Amino acid sequence: MNDAERPITQPKSQLVYWIFQLTGWGVITFGRFAGGITVLDLAWPRLLLELLLINTVGLVISHWLRDFVRRNRWRALPIRKLAWRILVASFVCGAPLGIVTQFTYLSALVDPESFLRQYAPALQFQLALPFAIALEIVNWAAVFIAWLTIYFAAIALREHRSAQLKQSELARALQLAELRLLKSQLNPHFLFNALNTVRSLIADNPARAQDAVTRLARTLRYTLTSPQDELVTLSQELEIVADYLELESMRFEDRLRVEHHVPDYAAGVQIPVMLLQTLVENAIKHGIAELPSGGLLRISAVVRNVTLILEVENPRPPAPTRASAHEGVGLHNARDRLRLLFGERASLELDLSRPDVATARLRIPVNP
Amino acid sequence: MKAMVIDDEPPARRELRRLLTGFPWVEIVGEAGNIAQAAELIGTLNPELLFLDIQMPGGSGFDLLTRLEDVPQVIFTTAYDEHAVRAFKVDALDYLLKPIEPARLAEALSRVKSAQAARTPKPDAVLEQIFVRDGSRCWFVPLREVRLLTSEGNYVRLSWGKSQPLLGRALAALEQRLDPSRFFRANRRQIINLDFIETVELGVNGRLHAQLRDGPEVEISRRQARLFKTKMSI
Repeated sequence: MNDAERPITQPKSQLVYWIFQLTGWGVITFGRFAGGITVLDLAWPRLLLELLLINTVGLVISHWLRDFVRRNRWRALPIRKLAWRILVASFVCGAPLGIVTQFTYLSALVDPESFLRQYAPALQFQLALPFAIALEIVNWAAVFIAWLTIYFAAIALREHRSAQLKQSELARALQLAELRLLKSQLNPHFLFNALNTVRSLIADNPARAQDAVTRLARTLRYTLTSPQDELVTLSQELEIVADYLELESMRFEDRLRVEHHVPDYAAGVQIPVMLLQTLVENAIKHGIAELPSGGLLRISAVVRNVTLILEVENPRPPAPTRASAHEGVGLHNARDRLRLLFGERASLELDLSRPDVATARLRIPVNP
Repeated sequence: MKAMVIDDEPPARRELRRLLTGFPWVEIVGEAGNIAQAAELIGTLNPELLFLDIQMPGGSGFDLLTRLEDVPQVIFTTAYDEHAVRAFKVDALDYLLKPIEPARLAEALSRVKSAQAARTPKPDAVLEQIFVRDGSRCWFVPLREVRLLTSEGNYVRLSWGKSQPLLGRALAALEQRLDPSRFFRANRRQIINLDFIETVELGVNGRLHAQLRDGPEVEISRRQARLFKTKMSI
């Protein structure tokens, strides 16, 4: 059974129902009472008694009607089928009440005869009994039509709201999934090359091989377990970047040189996890790895106007190869993540204004 | 067998050298860290086998092969680009995934050895195999399997199996290095592989027409007809 079919039984909606039910019938009772004693000058104790009796019956019938439409799942019906069902049900429920009413004191409330007798006695108007009864039945049917219309309108409104809520929950879940996907994933190219380096180092330099394994384990752990936190401090991220760069420099040897310029005041700023790592991987992939003699990779950070400006510079290969000609999935994903996390308040640009250096520049608001 | 290791990562080169010490018949005559260096060394060292990385600075392993006139046997070594290698339409090729497993290396080398034995010794000038890249596809093309070479401006269209790759060389330059006992200049635009001739007929215009197996009919120019008759002893 899905949500749309589940009968409403939550205590809160029960309470709302009874408030509506009693208020509705209360208003009808009071209205008729007021009309009866002011316009028609009827004797109020009898009027009140009869009104209370018959409207209580009306309330019971409407309560039973609610049960009936719920059992028969009327709310799942298309509007046209629902409309004529409402009409029929209202007359069916209205008929006995209408007939009974005609033979009580209350008939005067509906019967035009009583008005005319009081306000235009010269007319001598008398309504035939079947017409009088029909009028009473129509009158009661109108009450039930109104009742059912309000009932189904309330249900439609509530369903609309819960659909909207579900929609926004869905949107949020999608956003989360998207974020998880966009987060830099384990780069298999790096992983297998690193393993190959380790294999080589085991013979060349066992101590360095041990160090490489430790760093590789740390990098993997960070990559695999990071999805739990969206944000980390810059210094946390830099630690893992340092491990990564150390592994890459074992691979590239003297082709890779690294410089850091990160002042202490910037180290505590929160940044999206794996984002700097993505930029550094990009700098290696499209810069250092494309150049036979390698070059300098520079990471620098400043905080200006409550904004962290983080830059990763790498030398540019003279003729962009196919891999570096377009911006690449890495930067594109990083930009999408920033948009999801910070909206318009963060930005990432690839500055290619200098002929020999490419700079990835990241701007992130500093949270107080 | 003279071999060269081409990889931009020094530890990877050292590792492969170490692995190859188990195969004394493979002699590493040189190594290179990028394709410019590699192209130069291949010209002087004439290796028979290349261990070739795919991603390298300044151009990929494929770029290197398209630069080479004559392509030696190649074993690709790659950390993660095997899909790039597998995308090839080649059988005469092997690839090793880094870190390289010694057993896989032995397997690849035994394949090289048997391929080497199948090659008949030829004068040095004769091309054995060329590497063709046409669009996003690459082929190692053994020339003896090419039935027809057609000049298209500065390019040559190779009719090879079901493929028609375009080679970025002029027909005249290529002709110099084709095996003369196998390839014959039929007319100004075409060179045919004599092994593929099915029938030769005299056309209505008085010219000879050679019907190639799985291929088109090629007209022999009047100038070449006499030479052709001698060659085919008809």
